[in-house]
Amino acid sequence: MGQWPPADDDALLRELGEALRDPGPPPEEFLAAGYAAFSWRTVDAELALAELTFDSACDPEPAGMTRSAGSARALAFHAGPVVVAIEVTGTGIVGQISPARSGRVLVRTPRGPYEEVPVDAVGFFSLGPPPSGPVQLHARTSDYAVATSWVSLR
Amino acid sequence: MTERPDPATSPEAGSAPEVQATAEVLAGLVSAAADGDEFAWAELVRRYTPLVLSVIRSHRLNRTDAADVHQTVWLRLVEHLGRVREPAALATWLATTTRRECYRLVRVGRRTQPFDPLDDVEASIGALLPPDLTAPDENLLRAERRQALRDGFGQLPARCRELLSLLVADPPTSYREIAERLGMPIGSIGPSQARCLRKLRNSPALAAFVGASSDAEGSGGDRDGAVAAGR
Repeated sequence: MGQWPPADDDALLRELGEALRDPGPPPEEFLAAGYAAFSWRTVDAELALAELTFDSACDPEPAGMTRSAGSARALAFHAGPVVVAIEVTGTGIVGQISPARSGRVLVRTPRGPYEEVPVDAVGFFSLGPPPSGPVQLHARTSDYAVATSWVSLR
Repeated sequence: MTERPDPATSPEAGSAPEVQATAEVLAGLVSAAADGDEFAWAELVRRYTPLVLSVIRSHRLNRTDAADVHQTVWLRLVEHLGRVREPAALATWLATTTRRECYRLVRVGRRTQPFDPLDDVEASIGALLPPDLTAPDENLLRAERRQALRDGFGQLPARCRELLSLLVADPPTSYREIAERLGMPIGSIGPSQARCLRKLRNSPALAAFVGASSDAEGSGGDRDGAVAAGR
């Protein structure tokens, strides 16, 4: 192998560019967070996944959608016929599940349960401000139980 | 489903032969992880975290947002494991999901901060890179040298780091733009570059490397002398 570092300035500059674009090994805490995600694989295996289908923060608004306030962030999650729709403002979350049933909604973070509230007979619920980082909602009624996709709400 | 992969922007568009050679191994890892094999999952995390981080870096998020996106992406993969059987699709899915989550956080607009080339050179020139699949030995030597260059770069004065990061940026920064951004005459860029590269060669991180490699080549005395004299 040749002399290293290269005596030629252009060659050294090129290698420096490659080195700076290559960020090196990932920080340990990032790997640890990736490993830890696996513990969620079976935790709620009985819950159907309600996938994130709309987020006003980054998706174009569907036609005919009604929202209570322009400043609210609206999200919708679907699991077959079940829809979980929420609006997030600075003061908290209001949401509705449909088909309308009474039940419970739980907010979870990767560290565990965060807040649990009742759902009224027409499917409405309200929660305090969400924690930072990814969260997941669990909605359980007598007819169905779903867990939403993980998403950062603020 | 909104998370559909987009092949046109995949980091593996026009994938190399090595990618196909490892396809079987990756398919095995994905299906083992889907069946509950924790070691297979850990291997997937080790292999693909660099890809996820490279996408995150290209969005210039701060560290908290970067950690949130990274965690979200792996939590989402846990949800989707049973549906991602093809390794090429996995890399695309991860890159697409990461990009979407970065975009979401940028749009939500929390805790993002303007990028500063002095603090965050890596982020400024980070790019979307495919997973590294070259031979391990070659990788190790290259990784050591690159780490030494990054360490040496980190030991340079701020002014040198700023100039060199502009000079190695991709796409390249023009001399006129460099002169404007650094408030220096165009004519002094060349001499400053030479001076900063000399400092880089003489930095403790690289000087140690020079000593070790030149001993092995039997020409240690000259190089060491030159390095010492240059300080």
